[in-house]
Amino acid sequence: MEPLPPGSPPAGDDHDPVPIFGTWPRIYAAVILSALLVMGLIALFSSWKY
Amino acid sequence: VTPLDWVVLVGYVVGIVTFGVYMGRGTRKIDDFFLAGRRMRWWAVGLSVMATQISAITFVGTTGQAYTDGMRFLVVYFGLPFAMVILCLTLVPFFYRARVFTAYEYLERRFDLRTRTLTSLLFLFSRGLSVGVTLYAPSLVLSVILGWSEGATILFMGGSTVAYVFYGGNKSVIWTDVVQMAVIWFGIFLCVGVAIAQLPGNVGLRDALALAQTAGRLKIMDPSPSLTTPYTLWGGLIGGLFLMLSYFGCDQSQVQRYLSGSSLTQSRLSLLFNAFLKVPMQFLILLTGVLVFVFYHFHPSPLLWNRVALAQLERESPQEVAVVKERFERAQAARRAAAEALADARHSAQTPAPGAYLAANRELEAARAEARGLMERRSGGVRFNDTNYIFPSYVLANLPRGLAGLVIAVIFAAAMSALSGELNSLATASMVDFYKRFGRHAGTDAQDLLASRLMTAFWGGFACLIASQAGRLGSAIEVVNRFGSYFYGSILGVFSLAVLAPGASARGAFFGLLIGMGTVALVAGLTPIHFLWYNVVGATSVFVSGLVITALFPAPEVRA
Repeated sequence: MEPLPPGSPPAGDDHDPVPIFGTWPRIYAAVILSALLVMGLIALFSSWKY
Repeated sequence: VTPLDWVVLVGYVVGIVTFGVYMGRGTRKIDDFFLAGRRMRWWAVGLSVMATQISAITFVGTTGQAYTDGMRFLVVYFGLPFAMVILCLTLVPFFYRARVFTAYEYLERRFDLRTRTLTSLLFLFSRGLSVGVTLYAPSLVLSVILGWSEGATILFMGGSTVAYVFYGGNKSVIWTDVVQMAVIWFGIFLCVGVAIAQLPGNVGLRDALALAQTAGRLKIMDPSPSLTTPYTLWGGLIGGLFLMLSYFGCDQSQVQRYLSGSSLTQSRLSLLFNAFLKVPMQFLILLTGVLVFVFYHFHPSPLLWNRVALAQLERESPQEVAVVKERFERAQAARRAAAEALADARHSAQTPAPGAYLAANRELEAARAEARGLMERRSGGVRFNDTNYIFPSYVLANLPRGLAGLVIAVIFAAAMSALSGELNSLATASMVDFYKRFGRHAGTDAQDLLASRLMTAFWGGFACLIASQAGRLGSAIEVVNRFGSYFYGSILGVFSLAVLAPGASARGAFFGLLIGMGTVALVAGLTPIHFLWYNVVGATSVFVSGLVITALFPAPEVRA
């Protein structure tokens, strides 16, 4: 079995376009912001005085 | 269960098996069988990832937990979106570009054969036993609900799942998961809608949530820094992050799903899809449990949810049960009156005084606990768990005919989707990490495919065997599950060494893994730390000890 160089992914990249957000950093930022937003809404739901 | 419910349930199972077999046609090589030919789109893989994680017992257990304990369990999923981003940046590109079948195969390329073999063995051991539990737990509940024997339920559920996984492999798994997730989502919205619609006319959704809040069922965010308190915010964010990194990054049942993507982008998107949807989905499942809790304020509920156990108890200890039942019914009437008084006070703009309501609620819970105690005494001290029967009982007693069958089909769907993914991944690890690695290297496509199918059948049979014996192996299975939590984080530590520490040696990884598992076992045995933190301890100790061992014993083990 061919060993991989330690630490780095093998050569070759993926050229599929990233839908909607265009770039990976933007989509990761969107995921993190949406997670924080959802947690904020859950905190609000939990503490809201019904 | 009415005849219409039976028609819906049986029609669903027959339909899903037929669909799975149909979608699995054209499977000719193990690349097709294990990785769906690496041609799947992100949304299909994403739904499959989600479906594999949801088992039937997650569905009925989570709603039951929300009923009895509230929604705080939700924090376990708070680390998931962050874990998905980290995995997309780190492990997923390594796995995808290495063109591996199993996560552990990558460890041989990066470190050595023994690290690969040990991690794969640990996966086979823990997942092989847990797949039995995946099958046993819902069978236990469904056998009571449907009036079947446990063995028949296990065979029906296990056999129908093996049928399509055996024929079509991962392609069948993913496409049936897509359908099963659609059914599960529909079922969740249906249950939320029906629970709201069946509240009494003078009790609105806000009143229902106010009651749930008064009873402590809406408490989610506990900012306590304690490591021993279950389900704190920090435990969810940090412990949950490591748990999700371990599960989605190092467990073959998940890795195999996203390795089926047609490109790295598709694989990454499938995980990010889960990052967006998983927490809202769990929120809705837990909310269903809370609404069922409120629903039973205004409708009579049984003393025990497991009606078979209750009937037995009534036969064997009629006088004791009658006393508890009277206490329970008094408390139930008092709670209903107090809940209506609270709702009326809200409507007339008075300040609600929750004292009487809380007292009645406590009394009702105490009466139920007394009934459970009677059950436990009768069974020689074996813990009696009634929680998993709450949701199915609610569904059968209160949902319209046909829809109840559909929601029972949802529970089947959850069981089958988890089971199918696990069987397929067990067959893959056995085939790729052992059969192909140590035995036959160059079989023809037809021979390899046959061997892969036989391994699927073997693991299906093994799951049924474990499930049928699980009642007797109860404590042994608990030990195995606990053992699983010892090495989950440790395996994450090995993968972290592989990706984040370019200088880490094979010796460091292997012995670091052993040290990590030992450390978690010590922490679990000697401290009251909550299990969510075990993965943090395991991953950190493997990473640190792996680096130390590499520094102390350098050179020959490092492969360049």
